[in-house]
Amino acid sequence: MPAGQTCCGQPAYNSGDFETSRTIARKWAQDFAGCDYVVVPSGSCAGMIRVHYPRLFAESDTQGEAVRQLAARTWELTAFLVEVAGLSQPPGWYQGKITYHDSCSGLRELMVKTAPRTLLARMPGLVLEEMYGCETCCGFGGTFAVKFGEISSHLADNKCAAIHATGAQAVVAGDLGCLLHIEGRLRRLGDTTTQVLHVAEVLAGRQGEVAWK
Amino acid sequence: MEVKAVAFVRKAHEALHNPRLQEALRRTEAKFVQGRREALRHLEDPDAVRRHATAIRDTVLRQLDAWLIHFERQAQARGATVHWAEDGREVARILTDIARRHGVRKAVKSKSMVSEEVGLNAALEAAGVQVVETDLGEYILQLAEEPPSHIVAPVLHKTRDEIADLFARHHGRPRKTDIAALTREAREFLRPHFLSADMGISGANFLVAETGSVLIVTNEGNGRLATTLPRVHVAITGIEKVVPTLEDAATLLRLLPRSATGQDITNYVSLLTGTKQAGDGDGPEHFHIILLDNGRSRLLGSELEPILRCIRCGACMNHCPVYQSVGGHAYGCVYPGPMGSILTPLLAGLERATPLPNASTLCGRCAEVCPVNIPLADLLRELRHVQQVRGLRPRLETLSLRLWRALVLRPRLYHAVMGMVAWLLTRLAGARGRLCRLPGAAGWFAHRDLPAPAGETFLAAWARRRGKP
Amino acid sequence: MSARERILARLAAGRRDDTPVAARVENPVRGPATPHCTDPARRFTERARQLASTVARVADFSAVPVEVARYLDAEGLPRRLAAWPEFAKLAWQAVGIEAVFRPAGADDPVGLTGVFAAIGETGTLMVTSGEGTPATTSLLPETHIAVVPVQRLVPTLEDAFALLRREAAIWPRAVNLISGPSRTADIEQTVTLGAHGPYRVHIILVGL
Repeated sequence: MPAGQTCCGQPAYNSGDFETSRTIARKWAQDFAGCDYVVVPSGSCAGMIRVHYPRLFAESDTQGEAVRQLAARTWELTAFLVEVAGLSQPPGWYQGKITYHDSCSGLRELMVKTAPRTLLARMPGLVLEEMYGCETCCGFGGTFAVKFGEISSHLADNKCAAIHATGAQAVVAGDLGCLLHIEGRLRRLGDTTTQVLHVAEVLAGRQGEVAWK
Repeated sequence: MEVKAVAFVRKAHEALHNPRLQEALRRTEAKFVQGRREALRHLEDPDAVRRHATAIRDTVLRQLDAWLIHFERQAQARGATVHWAEDGREVARILTDIARRHGVRKAVKSKSMVSEEVGLNAALEAAGVQVVETDLGEYILQLAEEPPSHIVAPVLHKTRDEIADLFARHHGRPRKTDIAALTREAREFLRPHFLSADMGISGANFLVAETGSVLIVTNEGNGRLATTLPRVHVAITGIEKVVPTLEDAATLLRLLPRSATGQDITNYVSLLTGTKQAGDGDGPEHFHIILLDNGRSRLLGSELEPILRCIRCGACMNHCPVYQSVGGHAYGCVYPGPMGSILTPLLAGLERATPLPNASTLCGRCAEVCPVNIPLADLLRELRHVQQVRGLRPRLETLSLRLWRALVLRPRLYHAVMGMVAWLLTRLAGARGRLCRLPGAAGWFAHRDLPAPAGETFLAAWARRRGKP
Repeated sequence: MSARERILARLAAGRRDDTPVAARVENPVRGPATPHCTDPARRFTERARQLASTVARVADFSAVPVEVARYLDAEGLPRRLAAWPEFAKLAWQAVGIEAVFRPAGADDPVGLTGVFAAIGETGTLMVTSGEGTPATTSLLPETHIAVVPVQRLVPTLEDAFALLRREAAIWPRAVNLISGPSRTADIEQTVTLGAHGPYRVHIILVGL
């Protein structure tokens, strides 16, 4: 757990500041130098590193080479657990129905679709019901959530309606931006009972609760 | 090109609060999204067809000048006159010249996005030519004096009641709301115009270099009528529409209707080559083809070149969550949705369309469904980059990013600040576990609560727990 | 410098490939197509019906007038039509059909044409302009009847184009692909048949 890590730089990248993104990418490569794998519990950060970091550097850039090599060893959490770690039995425990939201970056940049479902299926007592439009964007989109707040909120409403239609106790996803946005909207709409959980909290927690202290 | 994109947020607001538009958008989404999925299943390997289509478009873009010259030569050999126009003004000049030369009083028009792009109708009317839109959707828009809201379904924002009102007002017939009856009434009103028009104006979905032909797809039959009956036919389109051979056109025709409306093929596909021949009973005596640049040539060889592959199917906007929330009018320009958010700033100027590349979550669904694999999300981001380089990003954003960058590059400071923020937000959230407002953060809190963090950063918790089993 | 020269100059600056274009034109490459089927007539019939055309089959040309009469009666249409001249030798009067052999006008209720080819993949008719094949006959009347010899059925659009390249002395001014009655979905995205072109398309396959 490199202590010097800070941010993958996606906010700068999606705002068009490629120079800042490059600087941050170089720092990241130094922070994680020597790791066999870099595992990221976030589809958007993992996508930024794996797919976009290499694009920021020209072929000839030697510093970029270190970034590229490390990026190739970077994995989104559930993909890593299934394809590298081969986790056969998640240590967590969950009883009840959940529904899974496919975050856009994880889904479209990293092809993360079956990995989380495979892991969740290995938890007895957990039932997964797919919501209508599970692959549709929740409307977060980084600064989009603030710059185009009404549209963002409208998309969140669609997502909340789809979640409610499944009757699930919890909505689960692999990206904190989505989770923050969905939970924020659910609570504002008056829903204080639907759990909003990161997939790691389900896989390793007790009914989605993780002991911190 | 007329662009009202700066009003995007206001127009989006109006669209979100328009229940009839929302209903229409829901209806079209279901139809077009499902339709496309099912129609592609009729192909053995849709992705292989898409890859081939992409290769065809790239082959042309790599030597666009050579292909256009070949097309021009073939078209001229069959009696067509080929005109080149740098911009809308030149199109207007060429067209009014053609109209004057051939004594044109009335023109019937089959759908053409490029004609919208250059405001062609207005230019012709100013020259004393009556222009009648014949595509049912465009005809309705002409009566309503409104612009289209979607490149394939131009009046998706109108209900049958609104259309019934329009017809009753303009046709002087009893008001009817049955869709088949409305369609029939439009047919009866427009038929005489086809028969009496001097000139037919169309777009071109593709220009086939091999034969020097204009290829037009329609469902209604107005494309055929407009290009067969009048004695003058003018086809106007962008320079990027050329494809090498008939086989290439056939590949693209496998994808265009399926991606657009879920049809395996459009009702009518017309391949038009040159003027009326000896032995032809019908067809135009004069055939003019206008090739429009309007900024397209500047894109070649740039990072943004892939947008020129676009075949105007509309799949990107049908699948875009933002477009599906607000419809086409919010974009304020001829080409809406993802492809429009890229093309419009490039053709009309970045300064005139600043919100558009930002009105996207970059979810990537558009790129997933594009039949010619345009990396639309990447191009939107590239435009944001160009904005950043040119200093067109909002000041607050630039300053915030500078501050953010300073923190990110200083881990100890970053962690100290994040730790304080985590602690503070948790305290403010209190027993409720969430915040409903924060000064200066109205952008978030207008629509959402903020769940409380865990009191400390993950790294701090991790450092504390190290060593525990 | 003309607009043409200016545009071409800008395009030349973006050119990355100097292969002569004639090479590709002379050796056209087919893309991936749907698989061939063993029974093109059946596939054509299925697809055409999906597009709201009606399809009938007769053994030979002499049976066409009887089939046309049956169809017109079944649809409640008058026994009057404008047909392409190639059908003049069929026995129309014998079945009580008033047939004229000139291009159809807006007042003709029924237009009868042949085809250049028919495409199985999509249930499409390929009709070309020329002497004896006026375009208005398949376009202006409310009903279009197309007579399709089964030997003219080809699997794909590429096959139809290849056939046209081989057989046409001069490439026709208009090649029209017709796939069913005209339609529009502009009003509330509800498909309505019969926009500007024919309301009905009846296809008569000829041959065993």
